[in-house]
Amino acid sequence: MAKVFGAAVKRREDPRLIRGKGRYTDDIRLPGMLYAAILRSPYAHARIRKIDAEQAKKLPGVVAVFTGADLEGKVGPIPTAWLPPDSDMKTPAHPALAKEKVRYVGDGVALVVAEDRYIARDALDLIQVDYEVLPTVVDAEKAMEEGAPLLHDDVPKNVAFHWQAGNDPAPAFHEAEVVIRQSFRQQRLIPNAMEPRAAVAQYNSGSGEMTLYITSQNPHIHRVLLSNILGIPEHKLRIVAVDVGGGFGSKIACYPDEALVAFAARELGRPVKWSEGRSENFQATTHGRDGIIHAELAAKKDGTILGLRLRMVANMGAYLSTAGPGVPTILFGLITPGPYTIPQVHVETYGVLTNTTPIDAYRGAGRPEATYVIERLVDLLAMELGMDPVEVRKKNFIPADAFPYHTATGLEYDSGNYQGALEKALKMLDYEGWRKKQEEARKEGRYIGIGWSTYVEICGLGPSQVAGAVGFQGGLYESATVRFHPTGKVTVFTGTSPHGQGEETTFAQVVADRFGIPVEDVEVVHGDTDRIAMGWGTYGSRTTPVGGSAIAVAAERVLEKATKIAAHMLEVAEEDVEFEGGVFHVKGMPDKQAKIQDVVLQAYLAWNLPQGLEPGLEAQSFYDPVNFTYPFGAHACVTEVDGETGEIKILKYVAVDDCGPIINPMIVEGQVHGGVVQGIGQALYEEAVYDENGQLLTGTFQDYAMPKARFFPMFDTDHTVTPAPHNPLGVKGVGETGTIASTPAVVNSVVDALRPFGVKDLEMPLKPEKIWRILSGGKKS
Amino acid sequence: MQIEYRYTFSAPREAVWDALQSQEVLRRRLPGCRRLEKVGEGKYAADLGLQVGPINGLFTGEVELADAHAPEDYRLLLQGQGKPGTLAADALIRLEEEDGKTLLTCSAQAQVTGVMASVGQRVMGGIAQLLLGQFFKGVEEDLQSGESSSSG
Repeated sequence: MAKVFGAAVKRREDPRLIRGKGRYTDDIRLPGMLYAAILRSPYAHARIRKIDAEQAKKLPGVVAVFTGADLEGKVGPIPTAWLPPDSDMKTPAHPALAKEKVRYVGDGVALVVAEDRYIARDALDLIQVDYEVLPTVVDAEKAMEEGAPLLHDDVPKNVAFHWQAGNDPAPAFHEAEVVIRQSFRQQRLIPNAMEPRAAVAQYNSGSGEMTLYITSQNPHIHRVLLSNILGIPEHKLRIVAVDVGGGFGSKIACYPDEALVAFAARELGRPVKWSEGRSENFQATTHGRDGIIHAELAAKKDGTILGLRLRMVANMGAYLSTAGPGVPTILFGLITPGPYTIPQVHVETYGVLTNTTPIDAYRGAGRPEATYVIERLVDLLAMELGMDPVEVRKKNFIPADAFPYHTATGLEYDSGNYQGALEKALKMLDYEGWRKKQEEARKEGRYIGIGWSTYVEICGLGPSQVAGAVGFQGGLYESATVRFHPTGKVTVFTGTSPHGQGEETTFAQVVADRFGIPVEDVEVVHGDTDRIAMGWGTYGSRTTPVGGSAIAVAAERVLEKATKIAAHMLEVAEEDVEFEGGVFHVKGMPDKQAKIQDVVLQAYLAWNLPQGLEPGLEAQSFYDPVNFTYPFGAHACVTEVDGETGEIKILKYVAVDDCGPIINPMIVEGQVHGGVVQGIGQALYEEAVYDENGQLLTGTFQDYAMPKARFFPMFDTDHTVTPAPHNPLGVKGVGETGTIASTPAVVNSVVDALRPFGVKDLEMPLKPEKIWRILSGGKKS
Repeated sequence: MQIEYRYTFSAPREAVWDALQSQEVLRRRLPGCRRLEKVGEGKYAADLGLQVGPINGLFTGEVELADAHAPEDYRLLLQGQGKPGTLAADALIRLEEEDGKTLLTCSAQAQVTGVMASVGQRVMGGIAQLLLGQFFKGVEEDLQSGESSSSG
């Protein structure tokens, strides 16, 4: 049988999904189902004087209208579940419906439940809310200033936390021959998953059981949080999230809305559905990034980096979202040295509350911000010293023989060969060739730029002990059950919750490969807390390194037991049995064999098992990784800037990523492509804009520029393979690498193109207008 | 959002001033006006039914004429609430005489919420221009037909 691990097997989930046969939350229709709609605040900051819902209640078809007062004792506050330690953390209450004050445009004020969704929507317009409008603050640095409007009485100066990491960088700056100082803005982004959020709740008042179908990246986390919020014991609450149309981090958070739907179903004794509209999604689903980073880099004149000092002011939005505080601290701060030997690093982050949509993880979550800063600083250093940016990188890379490597921020990079990835990318790009073309083009008045990004990222979250130490209010191990059925088919249950990444295929490959059975004989089950023992979900590129490893361990346990049965069947000692390609055979006697399917059948018939061995063939694993994994790579981007219009064209894009052994190259390439596009979206197009009153001005796809396929050339992708030494598959994550790597590669490229204009830095996104202003006379945008 | 608008009336300044201050002209010519009741000196409670792009529905609110320096300038304050959100505008309106004609300049600060902000912001400037154009053109028609003087 051909090896399945490493084969470009087509995604098995696609025939279902692309033919409309998927089972998304909004596809669910239950008998007697009601529909909910949520009234959201049109003001960014206002006191609620009075809510009059009488008119709405009178509308025919309206079943109930609930406001904050109705939730008393029935729906608790929405918690924050990542509390970085030693950060003077304040977690202001986040009520499921605003009672006294609204704090952002989109804050929920009332819930309408009606016979159909159109009546529910119409009823929203009949609710009269008397608001006393309050002063608003949307910028994080302004929110920290004396006299700024205060969002929560218990959070002075709107500063929710102040976190620090690293060591004292003063000696490095004392010793420095060159210091680079630059501030970098990470604009706010909107995740825009293809499927907005949705929820369907069904309550059985007889048994007290609640089933809640939701769009979730982590059903078990949602179960424990919603169990607390709703006062439903965990064993009576079932969360189901089978087909989920993308999340990019926006479906990690526990939102008020899903809790409200469950509450309404319990109150009214009928199933209730809520489906978020696209405009609603822009306002009420978490946003990503949004911060300013003030950076200083100390170096010697030969390009050796000595130290790094960073101060980040992170906009957290109006409330601290579920995992929000972990993003600009742990996931940003610890990886700021990147792939370089920087002995002295200090990072501090202020988490600031503003009258904007709450911020949580967005693809890459903290690591794109960190990578952007260090990769821009390295380019600025090269520019300052008149060195080639590639040379500065090579000079400072952690050498391949220095792993495991301990960073100044306390991480242990597991394995790497940064030089190797860069060398490969240099060749693929034909770097020298492009430098020549750049020079020739400049003579013709054309502006070509070449930008690099060599990155390392933290993924495969993570060792549970570390999760506890960094304030994550949960474990980060993963569970898996691998179950053979009597006919030799296998069901794999995973606690991760894929929502577009293709693990129904790759996990089946892992198991099929190990057992030597066809991929079609393996089914992967995820996204149902009643079917799966436990899980922490899909985010932080953890699904394959952690969830996949759990499956590998469970499969090994299954095989151990199967070997015992096979030895018994073949009438030899266990040590004399070998397993290969789905067949057990006696060592040195290849003809004396038993197929795994026959062994499985015997395990279930149990007519003749070894003494003391129980029937059945399945195993469970709770795999807790000993370390994170650290994928890395080198990306290069060639751009040309149109001197007339300021438009940027990507001429070539090269991505070399190292995610360890590749289970399915087609899926990995898809992840890289999608990630690269999303990262370029930040560099060139995307930006969420609020006006000074806290109104979201980019509330539609006409105003918020998403990248389109036609903006890009074909990407040249390749890989180096440096296994993670500590997990059974050796795999690292690849879901976020593209997003992490591509943003600085593109900006470095455009800055390089505009060197003749004396450009040193550009604020993202690099809209043509901004570039055009520079080209037409250096007027600052 | 800042809105600038200019309009030239072929009528003398005093006549334009009187027309613009007239409750009857306002009632007849404010775009979509269904009700305009005096609630105080220069203050009116108003219902405006509008249907221009995202500004769609009945707006209930207040129109106020303030800081009048006849016949040179005054402030027009608008506040309304409707299905697509809320609208507040503070407009300084100035009249200058030029060869028997009157040049009106309107300089307004407007704030919107709701769908008007999230969906409509991009087109809001254009819509404001359109509505202001309708209003002043209507006033001009009244001036031409003599309607404004009879009801002042």
